[in-house]
Amino acid sequence: MTPTLLGRWHTRLILFLFIGLPITFLYAWYLSAWGLSEVYTVAWPFDQVWFRLPPIELSIFQDPFKFLLALLVLGLVLDVAYIQIQRFHWEQDWPFAYQFFFSWVEFFIVFYVMDFGFLDFMFPDGRIPFSTAVCHFSWVFTFSFIGVLALLQIFLVRWRFKGGELGRFPLR
Amino acid sequence: MPIEISWQLSGRTERRTLQGRGPFRIGRSRNGDVVLDHPQVSRVHLEVIVDGASVRAEDKNSQNGTRIDGRPITVATWSPGEALQVGPFSLRYAWVAEAYEPTRVEFGQEPAREAPRAAEADVAGGRNPFPGALFDRRTVPISEIKASGKLAAETEYLAIGGGIGSFCWVDHLRCYGVPGSTIRVLGIAPDKTAYAKYSRLCRASQIPLHERIRSNSISTPDNIWGFPGYASRECVREVMHGRLSGLKRILQVFGEPALTESYTPRLGDVFESMDKEAARIGWNDMFVVAQAIAIRKTDDERFVIAYRIPSEAAAGASRSERERFMVARYVQLATGYPASNFLPDLQEFKHSHPDVAAVVNCYEPHDEVYKTLEQRGGTVLIRGRGIVASRVIQRIWEARQRNKNISLIHLNRAPIKEGTKYDWAQRAVRSDVQQQPFNWPKSCWGGTLRKRLEDASPEERSQLLSIWGGTTTADRDDWNDIIAEGNRDGWLKSFYGSVQSMTYRDGQVITRLGGHEKYQEGIDLAADFVVDCTGLVSRLDEAPVLADLTRIYDLQRNKAGSGTGPEVRLAGLAVNNAFEVPGMQNGRGRVWAAGVLTANGPYAAVDSFLGLQYAALRSVDQLGALRAPGVSRFGPLRSFRQWIRWCLGRSPG
Repeated sequence: MTPTLLGRWHTRLILFLFIGLPITFLYAWYLSAWGLSEVYTVAWPFDQVWFRLPPIELSIFQDPFKFLLALLVLGLVLDVAYIQIQRFHWEQDWPFAYQFFFSWVEFFIVFYVMDFGFLDFMFPDGRIPFSTAVCHFSWVFTFSFIGVLALLQIFLVRWRFKGGELGRFPLR
Repeated sequence: MPIEISWQLSGRTERRTLQGRGPFRIGRSRNGDVVLDHPQVSRVHLEVIVDGASVRAEDKNSQNGTRIDGRPITVATWSPGEALQVGPFSLRYAWVAEAYEPTRVEFGQEPAREAPRAAEADVAGGRNPFPGALFDRRTVPISEIKASGKLAAETEYLAIGGGIGSFCWVDHLRCYGVPGSTIRVLGIAPDKTAYAKYSRLCRASQIPLHERIRSNSISTPDNIWGFPGYASRECVREVMHGRLSGLKRILQVFGEPALTESYTPRLGDVFESMDKEAARIGWNDMFVVAQAIAIRKTDDERFVIAYRIPSEAAAGASRSERERFMVARYVQLATGYPASNFLPDLQEFKHSHPDVAAVVNCYEPHDEVYKTLEQRGGTVLIRGRGIVASRVIQRIWEARQRNKNISLIHLNRAPIKEGTKYDWAQRAVRSDVQQQPFNWPKSCWGGTLRKRLEDASPEERSQLLSIWGGTTTADRDDWNDIIAEGNRDGWLKSFYGSVQSMTYRDGQVITRLGGHEKYQEGIDLAADFVVDCTGLVSRLDEAPVLADLTRIYDLQRNKAGSGTGPEVRLAGLAVNNAFEVPGMQNGRGRVWAAGVLTANGPYAAVDSFLGLQYAALRSVDQLGALRAPGVSRFGPLRSFRQWIRWCLGRSPG
């Protein structure tokens, strides 16, 4: 990839909206409705639970969204650093391997910042356990990576030439 | 300029390039310049003399006579596109550039400076030059074109040049919704393949079909999205055949270029994919085998193109019947490399020793060099570094596997101590060559450097281009190993200095060096062959259609760069960021350009697969904004739908 700064921000936002949010919604629902509830953990998804929506634990439902939001904010800030790192490359590019690596770096930063209690104002009812956070992020990461590798190119034919920016080219 | 003669022999096209003035002998004799082995052909049947811009054919009292387009001749001017009939053979010729073009030059039947003389020759031959006085004006009335009786077709979209640049443009148009019936392509490849010329250049520069070319996985002329790229296709194919090594391709794309050697596709795979796409979009039905001659604006906001169909493509038609007009509203010019020249000292050698085949340019066919080396051994002197030099060195290494008696002298002007610097980075140097995976830094195609160049002033542009471009090669393990082996075993020696003279003595080419502090008195390097890999000087002025267009409409040219790469030295046609040629707007009618014609403009990598796709995308996007017939805005949903059709191999509709 050969992103520009604006391209990094655009791409991050579109992945957040079209991949991060829907996946987090599904994961948060699973988590708050079945994931932590003993009654439904065993039963799901094989019995009648499918047909009557279980009660949702609102605070648990909200947590993955807050985590995703923290990731987005950190990412938008780090993008400024990444674009500087790119300038040390003759090609001014960003290999997929870097994208992979730094995605997980971002995850660990956000997780430990939360785990040390710096984000307690966002998580008043308790911090997210490591296993849950890893599971959540794995889903988001996998689909976002597929998004960057394939989906964005298929839907947005200009994206690859605009350094990740959205929209059309100016006409002249 | 040399000419290339071609004829059919048992279904195959045979070609022979004739360099110099001649006379060249054509006949049954094995000693002739063109050997036609058939009982109806006399031993020395005729002679061909190349005199400036005209070619003369002279029958040498042959038994069965010689005819041009059916009429018997003794001495006559032979024009490009005309069929010279000798026994059962039908020969034709085309002008080819000095060295760079081993075969026809798309536009280069006559060099521009010689054009008036060519016209005179036509008149002397008793014919009216085409398109004649009609094209003396900047704007031609459509009524006069219609009255001429030569208007063959009116079309909405016309691509001039039948190469990969036109292919990408037409592919975009088709995916954006334009029906094939409103698109025409004028090209000269008799078999209508878009990669005909590219393929010839690859063959000449020693890239066989199984070799990998300097291109990227997502540079897919057969697919406007760049997905799936060649790497994933190759991976899937390999794994399906039970070869897990195919997964390496994905790892390459994953880590390139920082952690792994960059992925590059195989030449044959690219051609095969383009064949498939050509069938999908109906390329052959849009393709008209013809040579464009000139372009003018019309008084109804369109353009008229004068063109000539070669006699082979219109059996039995007279020359005048083969000269026609086509009218179109939207035109793209993508005619590829215009004529190119050798370096001055090589040119001088070629002129003073026209019979010596020991000095060749890497882009002209020179398989004989390697065949002779494999049989007899010998010394080769390679001038210049860069990607083709690397490939030629590889080819010599391959020859050495058959004959160890081959040695190599690598001559360059000066050693390279350190790589070019830009911003906070420096280009890598290895074995005395600057290395980068492609001919420009990767982000020139779609990243920060693309943006930087687009925003730059013309002066800044030529400065930036000479920093980013220049002579480079790829960091390939096999090439690095060959250089290391050559240095270790002593069959490869490097010399530095500028060439003072080249002479021919006792069957060897003697290159005299000077101008380097180490070789003040001069040093002589003797070699059996000299392969020039220094690149070429391309000149837009020598492509007649463009020269004429630039002159008639006062079109602006880009500033030529000062770098060393051939693409940098060419002053292309000035285009705006969407590749439109500003001076050519004619009401609703527009002209775009693509490829090397636009060198040194707002985009660096114009002569690459991905660059051609970019140019196509920009111009077709603009057509969409202009509400040109059939062209959609190509939003996400249409893009997705079209991609599915591509995957299913279904016509774009």
